[in-house]
Amino acid sequence: MEHYDADIVILGAGGAGLRAAIAATQSAPEMRIALVSKVYPMRSHTVAAEGGSAGVIRANDSLDNHFNDTVEGGDWLCEQDVVDYFVSHCTREMIQLEHWGCPWSRQADGNVNVRKFGGMKVERTWFAADRSGFHILHTLFQTSTQFPHIKRFDEHFCVDLLVEDGRVQGAVVLSMSTGEFTAIRARAVVIATGGAGRVFRQNTNGGIVTGDGMALAYRHGVPLRDMEFVQYHPTCLPGTGILITEGCRGEGALLVNKDNYRYLQDYGLGPVTPEPRNKFMELGPRDRLSQAFWHEERKGRTVTTPQGEAVLLDLRHLGRAKLKERLPLICDLAKEFAGIDAATTAIPVRPAVHYTMGGILVDIHTATPLPGLFAAGECSSVGIHGANRLGSNSLAELLVFGRVAGEHAVAFARQAPAANADEQARAIEAKALALLQQRGGGEHHAMLRAEMGASMEKGCGIYRLGEEMQQTCNTIASLKQRYAALTLEDHSRVWNTDWITAIELGFQLDVAEAMAHSALARTESRGAHQRLDSFDKRDDVNFLTHSLAHHQDGAPRISTMPVRITRSPPGQRAYGALGEQLEASRKEAAHA
Amino acid sequence: MSESRPYLRAQPRHWWAHSPYRAYTIRELSGVALALYAAILLAGLASLARGPAAFETYRQFLASPLSLLIHLLLLAAAVWHMWTWFQILPKTMPKLVWRGRLIRQDVMSLTATVVAVVCSLLLLSLFILVGAYL
Amino acid sequence: MPEMTAPKTIELRVLRYCPSRDSAPAFGSFQVPYTDDMSVLQALQQIKATLDGSLAFRWSCRMAVCGSCGMMINGEPRLACNTFLRDLAPDAVTIEPLQNFPIERDLVVTVGDFVKKIESIYPYVMPKAPKTIEQGTYLQTPAEMEAYASFADCINCMLCYAACPQFGANPDFIGPGAMALLQRYSSDSRDGGQQARLDRIRGEDGVWSCTAVGICSEVCPKQVDPANAVNQNKSKSALDFFLSRLRKETVS
Repeated sequence: MEHYDADIVILGAGGAGLRAAIAATQSAPEMRIALVSKVYPMRSHTVAAEGGSAGVIRANDSLDNHFNDTVEGGDWLCEQDVVDYFVSHCTREMIQLEHWGCPWSRQADGNVNVRKFGGMKVERTWFAADRSGFHILHTLFQTSTQFPHIKRFDEHFCVDLLVEDGRVQGAVVLSMSTGEFTAIRARAVVIATGGAGRVFRQNTNGGIVTGDGMALAYRHGVPLRDMEFVQYHPTCLPGTGILITEGCRGEGALLVNKDNYRYLQDYGLGPVTPEPRNKFMELGPRDRLSQAFWHEERKGRTVTTPQGEAVLLDLRHLGRAKLKERLPLICDLAKEFAGIDAATTAIPVRPAVHYTMGGILVDIHTATPLPGLFAAGECSSVGIHGANRLGSNSLAELLVFGRVAGEHAVAFARQAPAANADEQARAIEAKALALLQQRGGGEHHAMLRAEMGASMEKGCGIYRLGEEMQQTCNTIASLKQRYAALTLEDHSRVWNTDWITAIELGFQLDVAEAMAHSALARTESRGAHQRLDSFDKRDDVNFLTHSLAHHQDGAPRISTMPVRITRSPPGQRAYGALGEQLEASRKEAAHA
Repeated sequence: MSESRPYLRAQPRHWWAHSPYRAYTIRELSGVALALYAAILLAGLASLARGPAAFETYRQFLASPLSLLIHLLLLAAAVWHMWTWFQILPKTMPKLVWRGRLIRQDVMSLTATVVAVVCSLLLLSLFILVGAYL
Repeated sequence: MPEMTAPKTIELRVLRYCPSRDSAPAFGSFQVPYTDDMSVLQALQQIKATLDGSLAFRWSCRMAVCGSCGMMINGEPRLACNTFLRDLAPDAVTIEPLQNFPIERDLVVTVGDFVKKIESIYPYVMPKAPKTIEQGTYLQTPAEMEAYASFADCINCMLCYAACPQFGANPDFIGPGAMALLQRYSSDSRDGGQQARLDRIRGEDGVWSCTAVGICSEVCPKQVDPANAVNQNKSKSALDFFLSRLRKETVS
């Protein structure tokens, strides 16, 4: 086994991991930062994000607006002090990215442009055509190459954390190209491994989004918070789940059912206005739009495609020139994957799993309860998304909290004693090798993965029922048992993706279990967790709380923790005309 | 000791004769054709230097059917050389922006080709006129 | 209700190589049931899930933006995720790892050298006029952005390297992708690092291995036009060489 001594290890080199690495090396140029990623950094799933990143910039906008939009969007399950910190740091991160070269789309005068986005009162979404995540990721990766003390471990898969003496002491990583292990010792570890959308059958996520870091922290006693809140993005291509950005709706795209009717007006998002209006209709929040689809499907008003039911995203009225300038990737995707020319034909779309609101419990400094362990990005639950995330808050989150994680990991490492967990490292290696070498005609993991995906889609879908969630919990438990008897088809060491994906499945099953049990335990409906049984209303008396899933033998233990409310007491979550009315009366009450 | 043992496949020896590189090879060979034509012109100069008898031999060769065939082939090669030259031209230019829009590469190629053809025709006309006058 | 017909199948011939077992790569054959919307990537995933779990290939986003799944499909460098079986059927599909790169396992090639090349050309803005965050963003008009926009779209998929015969002949040639990234920064109005980058592209391993074959731009899935990036730098490099001689002479 190889050894490497670092000061800080960062697991994951997507937006949050790269931002953390840059922040860490800038605040401590003498420290060795090990940046571990199971793919080359430019393949990280940040690359697929399309729409943009939020940051208050317009003169008629305010941090208060961004705060209120986010808290309401999260159905009041957000940590409001964290949201305050977040909104007040977004814009400076966008500016920093621009200084590093990010090609934000511009107005004619050369100033940065911003677009409308779902659930946002005023335009504040900075965008780079419709490939914002791609440009953010490439800017961060390319900028990171100028710092010699960031030592990258590309295509190294993290198998486990090293935890000893009650604190984290590094990680054990497996080189995918050689199959050999390296124990990286460090005094602080930042997990930035992304979400877990791949536990669902239909999702927008890349193959790598398997909840690795969530499972690692979870297994070492760190609770996973709010795991029941999984975002269904309303506009994805049927079948593949390929993402069609919310930016389309920001540019004025319409959603119609098979009767060419803008059905969102039937679901509290109307009335229809001649021009797109923020927080109305197609610019409502994602959970509401996905739920509207679910109802339309039940009513038989959706369009039938070979890949399943869909509604139509109509971009034709934008015209070819605007489509080419603002949404070039979408035009390519529609053409290649759906055979559709977006300028002449509406695109069939449907919801698919997109984002994991929940994750590793961290405080406002991105510190987990395990000393030395930090987490940032989609893998974490820092408290800004609550029960439903607003589009363009996630890319901003990577930057704001990526930086916080890097700086706080440095501060922790400065005062922590040297790391040493060699025996443990050997045990971790042995465990991984045991899976590799297991013989005896057990099941193959592809089957288990498919069953997990189908069960999660059924039980933890857009609308949920108690008995179906219970069924999913039981299925996951049985899958975990079958997992223990897995055998691989490939027993070699070089590029054994059979082995790697089997280990990933183990992570996924743990995360799926936390999701299903947390969902079952929340006997109310809020944000993205909506139930059709007797718990179909929001219950602020009993459930203005976060859920915490604790790993143990057998089913996880679910506990709760209070939500931090500072200045926005839970109100009625409303968009469209009702939302405007409520806001007007709120303003009146404030003035009175 | 790692089991890794990367294997590099050799570049096919005749890559330039196979798709998609054939067009490139023909383009490059058209440059050779131009060199051949330059050699023919040089031979003419040399004959001229050697005196009227040598030049007469040269002139007779030029008038022969074989020479006509060679010149037609070389003309085709020269035209192809010109066409492909201007197709490559935009690749050597930085991005040109005019009135906020990028100037398209096919527009650049076409403009340059048209200018070249027009200039060639003008030059040819000039020589015919001057020759007729003298 | 559509009629249930026997599923169509297509043959995939995939070049396999496992260093602990094979002395050289050899083809394996798979019969894969398919539907009209399936990509080559989905066919490979199906092989891995149902026929041979040891098949190794890189993939992630499935939507032609991460650049992982580059491979030779019927002899052409393509992304597996946006190459569709319906366009290749009914003939057998031949799948090999990217040309010109060492094969580590099956369809996985060595990418590290390419990444070193893009790291070597100062792939970041070296600002002409440094600004603090408080001073806000630089101004950059849409016209100024057009000067580098296409080069910024490169997904690092390396199809251009597979297409380039000069890279095939000289693996140290900096190559089209790295040059596209170089030009992305050098023509960014905020950047002042042009000379530093020119210092990196002299000689045969710099721009001068390029003979304007141009297939790199044809195979690029994102219309980056790397041929333009390389060839516009030839005149820059030649001028730089000439000027540097002058500079040396004036000094001495």
